[in-house]
Amino acid sequence: MIVELFVLAIIILFAGTIFPLIAASLDRRSVRTISLSCTIVASILLGSLSLMVLLSGESVFFSLYQSLPAFSLSFVIDRLASFFLLIIAVVSACVALYFTEYIEHIDGQSRRNLLCSCTSLFILAMVLVVASANTLSFFLFWELMAASSFFLVMYEYSQYDTRKAGIFYFIMTQLSSLFVLLGIIVLYVMTGSFSFLPLTTASAPLVTVAFLALFVGFSIKAGIIPFHKWLPYAHPASPSPISALMSGVMLKIAVYGLVRFLLDVFTPDLWWGVLILAAGTASAVLGIIYALKEHDVKGMLAYSSIENIGIIFTGIGLSVIFTASNLPLLATLSLLGALFHSLNHAMFKSLLFLTAGSVVSATHTRNIEYMGGLAPRMPVTSALFFVGAVSIAALPPLNGFASEFLIFISFFSSVSVVDPLFKVLLFFCLALFALTSALSAACFVKAFGSIFLALPRSPESAAAHEVPRAMLIGPGILAATCILLGVCALQIFAIVGLTVPLPDMLLVSLLLLGMAVLTYAMLYFIASREVRVSETWGCGTFSQQASAEYSGHGFSEPLDIIFSAIYRTRTINERTFFDQKNCIFKGGTGEIRLLKVFEEYLYRPIAQQSLSVAKVVSRFQNGCLDTYLLYVFVTVIALIIFLGWFA
Amino acid sequence: MNFDFVLYLVINTLVVIAISPLFVSLIKKVKAGTQGRQGPSVFQTYFTLIKLLKKEVIYSPNSSRIMRVTPLVTMAAILVAALFVPLVFVPEPIGGIGNIILFLYLLALARFFMALAGLDAGSSFGGMGSSREMSISAIIEPTTIIVFAALAFVFKTLNIFDMFALTAATGSPATPTLILIGISLFIILIVETSRIPVDNPETHLELTMIHEGMILEQSGRNFALMELSAAVKMTVLMALLINLIVPLGLTTSLTFAGILIAVIVFMVKGSILAGIIGLFESSMAKKRFFQLPSLFAMAFFFSTLVIIIEVFS
Repeated sequence: MIVELFVLAIIILFAGTIFPLIAASLDRRSVRTISLSCTIVASILLGSLSLMVLLSGESVFFSLYQSLPAFSLSFVIDRLASFFLLIIAVVSACVALYFTEYIEHIDGQSRRNLLCSCTSLFILAMVLVVASANTLSFFLFWELMAASSFFLVMYEYSQYDTRKAGIFYFIMTQLSSLFVLLGIIVLYVMTGSFSFLPLTTASAPLVTVAFLALFVGFSIKAGIIPFHKWLPYAHPASPSPISALMSGVMLKIAVYGLVRFLLDVFTPDLWWGVLILAAGTASAVLGIIYALKEHDVKGMLAYSSIENIGIIFTGIGLSVIFTASNLPLLATLSLLGALFHSLNHAMFKSLLFLTAGSVVSATHTRNIEYMGGLAPRMPVTSALFFVGAVSIAALPPLNGFASEFLIFISFFSSVSVVDPLFKVLLFFCLALFALTSALSAACFVKAFGSIFLALPRSPESAAAHEVPRAMLIGPGILAATCILLGVCALQIFAIVGLTVPLPDMLLVSLLLLGMAVLTYAMLYFIASREVRVSETWGCGTFSQQASAEYSGHGFSEPLDIIFSAIYRTRTINERTFFDQKNCIFKGGTGEIRLLKVFEEYLYRPIAQQSLSVAKVVSRFQNGCLDTYLLYVFVTVIALIIFLGWFA
Repeated sequence: MNFDFVLYLVINTLVVIAISPLFVSLIKKVKAGTQGRQGPSVFQTYFTLIKLLKKEVIYSPNSSRIMRVTPLVTMAAILVAALFVPLVFVPEPIGGIGNIILFLYLLALARFFMALAGLDAGSSFGGMGSSREMSISAIIEPTTIIVFAALAFVFKTLNIFDMFALTAATGSPATPTLILIGISLFIILIVETSRIPVDNPETHLELTMIHEGMILEQSGRNFALMELSAAVKMTVLMALLINLIVPLGLTTSLTFAGILIAVIVFMVKGSILAGIIGLFESSMAKKRFFQLPSLFAMAFFFSTLVIIIEVFS
């Protein structure tokens, strides 16, 4: 049953990939709708099959194709895989639904068919990565995922920024694949098989190499600082639904990879946990601090993804630390926190990216300083974005809170870790973790406030109107999921058969609702009911103007100053004067420059080193046929000698 | 949910709503006293609230639904948060009510809405208040969580009900660790309720205010709700401090006489703390906004110290 459903879903997704390619030159809406419908149907199938596996807890193994004795195209769907399949399914279905309408509003005529095709291929690749039963097919589909996502990022290739982002993304994602491949090969050398089997040798140096390679590979893909730079480039460059898919799902595939290898292959050391925890905490704090500074709405969401991936890695790191300290219960709890946060982040981040896409298509700008006043103009979109903002700010009773709560509980329970020094480290990380979630609340107050509230700050924003219905239903489903996963978190865990120390959010929500209703009723009976809409105090001006408003930049200014050491902003002031005592001002320039620390000090030196190496290597490739023939000849001779000696 | 717990919900909510305006007035009275003024009556806050309830609400034409729901959401969130801190009677916790992290985040929920409402009308004062409030709340957060972690560490529980039940059972004056935590809690109380040296609740001078700036656009019954919720929040945080350090009078059994005594004892303890807050506020000037991080850093190191002492002892 499950195997058939899975194969059917794969076939439908494949059809969704092929069909628009066949009709590539037909610029018809129907072509794209059919392709996207295929994605929706396949997602529903995948979602139902993963729910079946999640609830029953049985894993399914099946082999489709045996090419070599060492390698077969086989799949396994266990609880972990089905959980991530569920994430893919829900987000893909909603994104595809949104895409059916969104794609008709973007440029590119028949090129849009290719966009549909690539989207299907991308989703297909992600599904196959998660379901892969051996490391080699895992890697192959990982590459397919990387390649298809590169084409998606490059959709608007005519723009310079997009090309730059695309190349950046391509290099980072290939680096990631390289490291993953290295890890897989090291594992193969040690065990002689490509299967996800536990290692027998506990802590050989090679195991550490394999872990580090895989960790770096997955970190690059997940956007862990310092490998994060591709996210804020690639997300604004690609179409919004693609950003939603990449941020909501693709980053989780990297999380899946890490968790899969940690659980099935390795027996982790304590310091691995510390490494993952440190990387996670640093990403979480720095990610949200950079997000606060960002005024490109999609760039801001990209940085916030870095933060959330940091939170997920924090949970995984804690889990590894607890496993190594022989505290299996706590390890399970923090891993559950990390996985639940993966699910929640997928929901609210794709919701936010989709609604941000609606906003961008309505206002034709990505800069939040030119938005404002959209709440009355786009009431449903603003309500949906609001749900996402409350979720991501980890406020009760929505889902972001539920998963961060689990990680908080794990931190608070770290008392039982034996080593006192570790306790202090964990408390320090706890403080940073708390800072992260408080800053994300500040960040999303700024985002929602600047985009939707007050007066419009540009004519485009003033003329914006609500998007078509299909672009509301997709995010609407995601918003409903956010609410459901938060309010019923405890009940959902109970259905899956897990007991977690979550508070009963349903009770808390009911209490909140009850208190609000009581307050309203009390006011209704005892207070005045008069309401007037009239100009309020505007500093003595006759009527309020958008230019006098508090802008997004102004909003984050206090935090900018407090964290100025991290932002490394340089204020350059040059003034000239008429007189020698610098009294009479002549003219001058002022500039605030944001130093891109990671690019200046990490990426650029590495890139320059690679370039100089490449220059040396390129001498071998002079384009002359004779030289190449010489290479072949030398190689053949070398091989013959080699074989003659050793064979 | 048993009968005791339902009764607890009713008692706690009624007590907190009834008492909280009194504490606000008391602080004002003490501050007036230190300035050589007579000050308004201790019931002034009640009168103000009643007056506000009778006034009409004015919404700016630029404001959206956020402005309209914020007072209700804020009040509801603060009232639910108030249920997490038993003032007079400690029942058995049910369904995670009393969890200290959830308590903190309910306060954050109220703040989130308030900050959005500050931005909603498009006035620059509101935005200024929101921006400062969110910045301050973000940088005090590590301290708060470390203090709460220290509490959880000392009491071996995350539930405020269990903590209070423990202190009420011993009934003795606090241990040195608890007093250290108490000092940190006091700093958090000052920050969270926007008092000097962080914010000035008296002033309506635009450049110095934070919390008041944020709710500048509120009027009529909505403003009454904002004022009352701020008072309730202060009382709840005061109760957290009081019932941990001086649990005297806190009852765990549900009897009429016990509750009555507990209410009276709580009012006395609360009045004393209100007096201390008033004196504390009068004894110093408001700090410059960008000097606050160093103040918070001090509080942070202080609470970390507690943890380190606890861990290594």
